[in-house]
Amino acid sequence: MEKIANKVRETARLALANGEVNKILGWKKGDFWYDSYPAFITEEEGTASLIWDSFCVANLSKYLIEQLKEDIKVGVFLKGCDARAFNQLLKDNRVDRDKVVIYGLPCPGMIDPEKVKKAGLAKGLLDVQKSEDEVVFITKEGEQKFSAREFAYDKCLTCQYPNPVVYDELLAEEVERNNTTEYFYQDVEEIEKMSPDERFAYWVEQFSKCIRCNACRNVCPACSCEKCIFDNSKANVAGKAKVDSEEQFFHIVRAYHVAGRCVDCGECSRVCPVGIPLAKLNRKIIKDITEFYGEHNAGVNPSLDAPLETFKLEDIDPFETRAKGGK
Amino acid sequence: MSLENKQISSENTSNFKPLIVAFCCNWCSYAGADLAGTSRLNYPANVKIIKVPCSCRVNPNFVLRAFQRGADGVVIAGCHPGDCHYTSGNYYTRRRFTLMKNLLEYVGLEPERFKVDWISAGEGNKFAAVMNEALEQVHKLGPNRKLRDARWKR
Repeated sequence: MEKIANKVRETARLALANGEVNKILGWKKGDFWYDSYPAFITEEEGTASLIWDSFCVANLSKYLIEQLKEDIKVGVFLKGCDARAFNQLLKDNRVDRDKVVIYGLPCPGMIDPEKVKKAGLAKGLLDVQKSEDEVVFITKEGEQKFSAREFAYDKCLTCQYPNPVVYDELLAEEVERNNTTEYFYQDVEEIEKMSPDERFAYWVEQFSKCIRCNACRNVCPACSCEKCIFDNSKANVAGKAKVDSEEQFFHIVRAYHVAGRCVDCGECSRVCPVGIPLAKLNRKIIKDITEFYGEHNAGVNPSLDAPLETFKLEDIDPFETRAKGGK
Repeated sequence: MSLENKQISSENTSNFKPLIVAFCCNWCSYAGADLAGTSRLNYPANVKIIKVPCSCRVNPNFVLRAFQRGADGVVIAGCHPGDCHYTSGNYYTRRRFTLMKNLLEYVGLEPERFKVDWISAGEGNKFAAVMNEALEQVHKLGPNRKLRDARWKR
């Protein structure tokens, strides 16, 4: 990965130097080993701080909406799922393709710091290095090797698009990931097996954790309305009361709002500070769409219509219970 | 469910008057309701009809809001596919609420509480039958407590 990181820095430096772009969106290292956060760089010297490691999970494509409000050209580093998100933004007319230069990064899968913390390996951790399918945790005492799959994000374990679907320049060779789709809906199916009361109890427990920080909405590349109904206090959509139904309302509407446009990047689950498994709601909708209207991978091909933007005369009709005429 | 809860719910169902909110499209289902009325067909008075220009005008928020503020069941009624006054509105309704219904079931709502049906202006009988059936099923389930805001009392 270090080799690619060098290329990231070099590409960014050159792009700024020859005026190809005015700004670079990449990742920078923070204070902690898991802390790789978005960096906005306009000066050539700043590009030295850019990185590419196993924690560059933050999706940079949504920042483009804000960045492109100025009349500048932006260079951005995108992974597979980020590129799908970019396509979705393009389809929603939220970004201008001509003002963006995309540097594609085939993604070997990212490491979930929460899983590392859970395994009790986080204490005194200095650095984490990942090779093909091995991850090495380096502490003062020494090194510990594990299988990378053990610590990968759940979304990475089922990822079908590790290579960017849209780019101007690809910075590394395409990677191959042999993820089967077999377990793709495993979480959803587990919930579907429960009785309605169990399901409700499960979701009430999850939703009641919500602190209404709106991070899931703000990070989502499909949730990019200029004005969100939940921000419009006059619309009376979002109540302020501390009651469960408000949170249930928000989360059902949030999940439904991105139906057919969710690129399954899993950012909502990742940024949730209280750990609500929001992607399980999105996956359910993806599962239903696949079952009823055929497979639709949002953001892969922006020229295709989203399933809820269109219809077919012969769509399944789960509601028609009586013969027409009703006599 | 504990024994105590069961007793409470059985008490509740004995004098429980369900509230059904029906979103009816202006061109077919609302006229169907009219026909049911002028034909003197019996359908329950617990059904509160909200007239909408087209069934695709019904935003999923409306359904959630109805459940939140006291509905025990929600029905959306529109023209039969192919008969939409605006040519294609109910096709969108069909897709949207197929997904929405599944999502609501996924978060734990009983499937009987939320219905979509196609009722044309000539189907007064069907209107009465759909509403009676919805009421009967909701009555069996008892008052809805899911997705409810407890402050809304009726």
